[in-house]
Amino acid sequence: GLRRCPISMDMRHLQESFQDIQRAIQANDTFQNITILSALDSLQGIKPLDVCCVTRSLLAFYMDRVFKDHQEPDPHILRRISSIANSFLYMQKTVQQCQVQGRCHCREEATNVTQIIHNNYNQLEARVAAVKSLGELNVFLAWISENYQDGSA
Amino acid sequence: VPCVSGDLPKPTDVTFLSINMKNVLQWNPPEGLHGVDVTYTVQYFIYGQKKWLNKPECRNINRTFCDLSAETSDYEHQYYAKVKAIWETNCSKWAETGRFYPFLETQIGPPGVALTPDEKSISIVLTAPEKWKKNPEDRAVSMQQIYSNLKYNVSVYNTKSKRMWSQYVTNHTLVLTWLEPATLYCVRVVSFVPGPPRPAKPSEKQCISTLQDQTSALKVK
Repeated sequence: GLRRCPISMDMRHLQESFQDIQRAIQANDTFQNITILSALDSLQGIKPLDVCCVTRSLLAFYMDRVFKDHQEPDPHILRRISSIANSFLYMQKTVQQCQVQGRCHCREEATNVTQIIHNNYNQLEARVAAVKSLGELNVFLAWISENYQDGSA
Repeated sequence: VPCVSGDLPKPTDVTFLSINMKNVLQWNPPEGLHGVDVTYTVQYFIYGQKKWLNKPECRNINRTFCDLSAETSDYEHQYYAKVKAIWETNCSKWAETGRFYPFLETQIGPPGVALTPDEKSISIVLTAPEKWKKNPEDRAVSMQQIYSNLKYNVSVYNTKSKRMWSQYVTNHTLVLTWLEPATLYCVRVVSFVPGPPRPAKPSEKQCISTLQDQTSALKVK
């Protein structure tokens, strides 16, 4: 779980990057009655043993779906999103090494959580879902920060 | 009586002021209506739910704040709130907050600070702030229970040498050593949680003097 795959990452810089663009992105999310990550009972209930797998799955969710589906006109916001994506790329490499070394096993509970998130995403048109997922990055970053406190820089 | 919406300007600067999970919605009166007998009505929304909810105690109120702590007490959910101005049969459109996430946005209040001096040291005992609670008789929940990574930034000021220094501590006791005897020191403490920056209110400045150095006192005799 957590200790077996520590990720050293400057979480504060990541969270500051997002905080800088949070209001603008969330203002573009007009579907207040739907959440993607914020079904927090799913994220908060993750056991330490499943933290690595969920981290790997959610990093892939953002890198392979959200950042690809999102089209951002504002250069400032785009720079911030790129900075966050680069940090996620670095984290992905760390987590993938853990997987190669057999330290990032996926159990059913963890797979179910990420499936819920993908199902939520599929409810909406891709660009709308991408904006909503970006607006909920604070939830994911808070979860990473909480679960990798010692592993963080 | 339904009011005609949009004839009044909206309230402005609608935000949550949140300290230790006491979440108060506050706003400024609409521009140009100072002195007019305006009242306000508030609603709130739990992100991901279906509809806006009323807060009966904040319906047609004169004040420009509304305590939504009970309604937003599940700090791992996210919320919106909105307020409109009403005057006679006219009312404004709703003025809405951004998405509010208590877990990441609440200010962590200062800890309790107890100082005990010795000749060349001062012992500091910190007590974590308490989370807001609905009723005084409810069981107290420490903010430490919510934020296991809660830390404190202790600032110390030597009033004689005018020297100041500070240090981060994670546990609740700290002994300042190598101090000068019979010297007044002042201490201020700020609570801190790693993560996105949040405003922080320091503790009241507390000053205490280290004791007279007994060895020099004996020589004098």
